[in-house]
Amino acid sequence: MKHNLGSSYAAPQALWLTVFFAAPLAIIIAYSFMKRDLYGGVLPQASLEAYRSLANPTLLVITLRTLWVSLAATVFTILIALPCGYSIARSHNQAMRLFLVIVPFWTNFLIRIYAWIAILGNEGFINDLLRALGLTTDSVQFLYNQGAVILVLVYMYLPYAILPLFSTIDKFDFNLLEAARDLGATRMQALRKVLIPNIRGGLVTAVLFTFIPIFGAYAVPLLVGGKDSYMLGNVIADQVTKTRNWPLASSIAMGVTLLTGLAAVIFAATSSRSNHHVEEDSGIGSVSATAGIPSGGQA
Amino acid sequence: MAEKGHAKRRKGISFSDFVYGAVIAFLFAPLVVLFIYSFNNSRSGSWHGFSFIWYEKLFMGSGELWHAFRNSVIIALSSALTATLLGSLAAVGTSRYSFWYRPYVKSMSFIPMILPEIIVGVSLLVFFAGVGLKLGMITVWIAHTTFNIPFVYLLVSARLEEFDPSIIEAARDLGATEVQTLLRIILPITMPGIASGFLTAVTLSLEDFVITFFVAGPGSTTLPLFIYSAIRFGVSPVINALSAVMVVGTVLLIYPARNFLKAYAAH
Amino acid sequence: MKGSDVTVSGISKSFGVFKALKDVSLEIKKGEFFSLLGPSGCGKTTLLRVIAGFEEPDTGIVGIDGRDVSGLPPDKRRCNTVFQSYALFPHLTVFENVAFPLRLRHVPNRLVRELVIQHLALVQLEAHAEKKPSMLSGGQKQRVAIARALINEPSVLLLDEPLSALDAKLRQRMLVELDSIHDKVGITFIYVTHDQQEALSVSDRIAVMDQGKVLQIGTPQQIYENPASDFVARFIGETNIFAGLVASREGGFATVQCEGLGGILVEANGEAPIGAKVSVAVRPEKIRIAAEPPGQLAELNVLRGVVEEPIYSGFQTKYIIHLPSGGAVTVFRQHANWSEGVPDLRWKDEVYLSWSARDSVVVESDAK
Repeated sequence: MKHNLGSSYAAPQALWLTVFFAAPLAIIIAYSFMKRDLYGGVLPQASLEAYRSLANPTLLVITLRTLWVSLAATVFTILIALPCGYSIARSHNQAMRLFLVIVPFWTNFLIRIYAWIAILGNEGFINDLLRALGLTTDSVQFLYNQGAVILVLVYMYLPYAILPLFSTIDKFDFNLLEAARDLGATRMQALRKVLIPNIRGGLVTAVLFTFIPIFGAYAVPLLVGGKDSYMLGNVIADQVTKTRNWPLASSIAMGVTLLTGLAAVIFAATSSRSNHHVEEDSGIGSVSATAGIPSGGQA
Repeated sequence: MAEKGHAKRRKGISFSDFVYGAVIAFLFAPLVVLFIYSFNNSRSGSWHGFSFIWYEKLFMGSGELWHAFRNSVIIALSSALTATLLGSLAAVGTSRYSFWYRPYVKSMSFIPMILPEIIVGVSLLVFFAGVGLKLGMITVWIAHTTFNIPFVYLLVSARLEEFDPSIIEAARDLGATEVQTLLRIILPITMPGIASGFLTAVTLSLEDFVITFFVAGPGSTTLPLFIYSAIRFGVSPVINALSAVMVVGTVLLIYPARNFLKAYAAH
Repeated sequence: MKGSDVTVSGISKSFGVFKALKDVSLEIKKGEFFSLLGPSGCGKTTLLRVIAGFEEPDTGIVGIDGRDVSGLPPDKRRCNTVFQSYALFPHLTVFENVAFPLRLRHVPNRLVRELVIQHLALVQLEAHAEKKPSMLSGGQKQRVAIARALINEPSVLLLDEPLSALDAKLRQRMLVELDSIHDKVGITFIYVTHDQQEALSVSDRIAVMDQGKVLQIGTPQQIYENPASDFVARFIGETNIFAGLVASREGGFATVQCEGLGGILVEANGEAPIGAKVSVAVRPEKIRIAAEPPGQLAELNVLRGVVEEPIYSGFQTKYIIHLPSGGAVTVFRQHANWSEGVPDLRWKDEVYLSWSARDSVVVESDAK
């Protein structure tokens, strides 16, 4: 193996990512251990103040709420995505069914959030309809609460769950289900005891690619959420831009990153174990390999 | 592909198909509503008749919008180009060779994909402030390239995995130098992966809101940022029209492009 | 002769703890069609790759025409390889695939056309020049790979199990074609295969390998009729092996006492002393099977047994015969009406097996 060439080819990317990704993260880590400068920014002094501030009860409430919203949204998403993935895998025209799932996601990220504002808002479609039908005279407040946030998050993240689930289910040998039925299992039993365990890889991928971005959500709670749906992502942003308490923003960011890292480690552990089963596929390639689907932690 | 078992002859619709149908309706419904409302002859939610007035405003009266659109396109193309260059090259390097920091490259390429964007955005903001770089088109370009690289890298690497390695040996056996092998063999065969990566990068870049929000300066508003300022306080009918145009435009553009790519990749 | 001599001396190669090649040496003469034959994992492909230059041996030298080429990369060795997976460039047409080596050297267009058409004609693929590899059948792809490997005019062509992906009938045809190409081109061919039928039918000489070592080198006839070891005897064709002790030697023959079978007469081809433990191999087609005992002939070995399993395969029947002592003997009998007609032998029939002492070969003894 020529050692020089490979490293030369990879060097530019490695350099770029080190400077513009690793270094900024390192700075954040460093800032979380520094003292806050009252006019914004940091003072070059070591301090654990930022971490001590994490014990703030308001912050705790927000953290729990973020966890709750993320879990709820993830659970709903997975529950809906499973039968969808199954339906697509079993269909005779997979390409078309996938296409239909993906097309709405070719529209702009903000526009998809905005669409819900247009539907749920006080001047929106539903209120319009209700007034036209004479059911209400004032608008009903559908927006700016936790329910709206969860609804829109589910809307935004369905494809990230459907795709890896589809990919794994597609590689599943359905003869196994027939064998189970033949041996006396009911439909539900066969699905529960045979299908689910064998698509574990895809499930893990789906959960991770849904939960992690949702946990760090910023735009959705910002636009459709209210005071009761302020999430950690919003806290970090406000600490950076409004309060300018960068060490605190950094320490919160560290917390979120740690959780993300933990989840990623769990993912790596379970998926490399499941990779020993030749037929199982974790479906991770499907998440971004479908060109045109916006991916990543944007929420 | 896995065995599908015997064809199911069921009357009626299975539960999973029903859920699928409901999901598709759910996914499309908001967009359909937007589409309909873009023709609404009134500012408020209630329907006052069919009209093109918002389309007029869109195309005639929105200088700022078109400026933002132009910025978006410039950033998308330039960052996709850079990301494709860096990512493809790195993919070739890590797939064919092993070197001391190869694991670093591979994990670096994976992490940005799963880290929440808020963290990436904030860290870049802090970084730029720290090095004294003023927020503007350059910083947006840097940020977009950074989050695009992992996707290009992944897509090109995937394509390289399917490569029969004896082809490279054959090329060497027949006298090709490293450069010749790269340009005449690896590049053409990997082209679908590279093109796919480029397209993905363009899409991601045009889409991006959260990261761009933190690293953009006053003159470097992109389309998503513009839309954000328009919608923060409620319904904006011009945005309805814009949405309709974007949806239709995207479908018209992407669908043939993907078909083209699929046919190309089949060879 | 346009080919080269290839010499390999003392080649050893390990991958981690796995020793793929253990001190291998052999000499291949120029213009020979030389096969490396052995089961999977025996090291034959590794040896080929060492000769080609894709693997560096841990010890030993590779020489071509007397020159030590051990340090040279593959394209500088005047060898070219036909890969098992054909390794055709999927994005180039057949024409461009074959032209590839010439394009690398910026050979002028007119000359390229001439040479490519010439080589496509050699493998009878001129009509398919503008097709892409995905549109070709396995046999066609293989021929493109051969044409492409020959266009650089190497003096040694290395073939790595080129026929393994083809079906049986196609393999027969391609083998004949390979042979004729070898005759036409005249260079040295080094051919790797696990299929002994292939090796026997086209090779000038064969090296039988197992577990990283060369067990025997010889012409196909030598390898088949005089296998040097138990392994070679079993690997090439089918055989019966009887183990015993040398009881006596007389004239050009020896008697080997085998348990339960009595004495077996063998042609004394070695120096095994009386009392030595030996294995005797007898090929199934050399054994005559009949319902009556044969007439007495001095050099004949005769055994009695019972038909356990006749296996019919059209041109012959293979019989598994159970001996009273408990062993089994395999016999091939071709179906042709020699003067005595075809005896009808069925399951549980009692039969007499007979073969000449000259067809008993000692393959392994502790005297060797």
